[in-house]
Amino acid sequence: MKVLWQIGILFAVCLLGEGISLLLPFPFPASVIAMIILLLLMLTKRLKAEKLKETSDFFLGIMSFLFIPAGVGIINVYDSIKGHILPLLVICILTTIITFGVTSFAVRFFIRLQERLSKPKGGKQP
Amino acid sequence: MKEFLSSPFFGIVVSIIAFRIGVLIQKISKTPVANPLLISIALIIVFIKTFNISYEDYNVGGQIISTMLVPATAILAVSIYNQAAVLKKYFIPAVAGCFVGSLTAIVSIVLMCRAFGLDEALTASLMPKSVTTAIAIGISEQHGGLVPVTVAAVIVTGVFGAVFAPLLVKLFRIKDPVTTGISIGTSSHVGGTSTAITMGEIEGAMSSIAIGIAGLITTFLSVFF
Repeated sequence: MKVLWQIGILFAVCLLGEGISLLLPFPFPASVIAMIILLLLMLTKRLKAEKLKETSDFFLGIMSFLFIPAGVGIINVYDSIKGHILPLLVICILTTIITFGVTSFAVRFFIRLQERLSKPKGGKQP
Repeated sequence: MKEFLSSPFFGIVVSIIAFRIGVLIQKISKTPVANPLLISIALIIVFIKTFNISYEDYNVGGQIISTMLVPATAILAVSIYNQAAVLKKYFIPAVAGCFVGSLTAIVSIVLMCRAFGLDEALTASLMPKSVTTAIAIGISEQHGGLVPVTVAAVIVTGVFGAVFAPLLVKLFRIKDPVTTGISIGTSSHVGGTSTAITMGEIEGAMSSIAIGIAGLITTFLSVFF
């Protein structure tokens, strides 16, 4: 029964997320809203993280599996991108690498900046 | 036969078998390119094309699997909560990194689409491809993009991130888990995150939080393009 209650809580939060998503004036996914609600519930100690452990482990383990049907759905758009497949693929891949690289440099830069700024006050170790 | 193929169990069983084969191939070959997700997608496409099964039939069960992405994304909150101390310490670098990364994604996509001479509709379809599907669809629609193309671009990006994230970490010589997680989540959303969670708890948590932050930032930034 334990896992059933966990799934119950999780799906209820997802439903709440769907509801809020419908009310927002801009597009924002129900899944991320549900993620924020769950996080708030745990941070305010209304929900214990251990109470979701089994369900959390299960979903983390099958995460990449869940993308299969969406990936197979690519065959549906084949006709509308037929003449552009190569450039589209190149753009998708190159921009992902560029974004990854620039993000990594930015995060490292800001971590270093933060450490330098916080040193005179408390001397935090990196 | 039609009733058999359009049973929800059909799509689910086919997906599980394909994934099982993918995992086996990866175990035997031991290369990151032999990614179970990539292999199973290819196997299923070949399978349904060969036996003339319609995507709609497969997707009766596929839809159920896709729906589970919502709770799977939501429950990433548990990973984030478990790493709340790390997130608190690196909150500013995380948000700043997501901002710079999201801006880079949009600008590089728009510039490359122009370079390849793609029209406005295709450019608008690709622009939000680094963020998670639901946000990307909304942005694409607002800018006159083709939603199915956006979904395909988001998937390609996610699968690419899932497969190549470990290689990119090496390429850019990233040593710390916070940078790794934020870079994966910002560049390849939930797809990349599915790999980040296998790299470590902090990587997974940071990648998860980046999905949300980058999604929000991209929504607002796209207004200016």
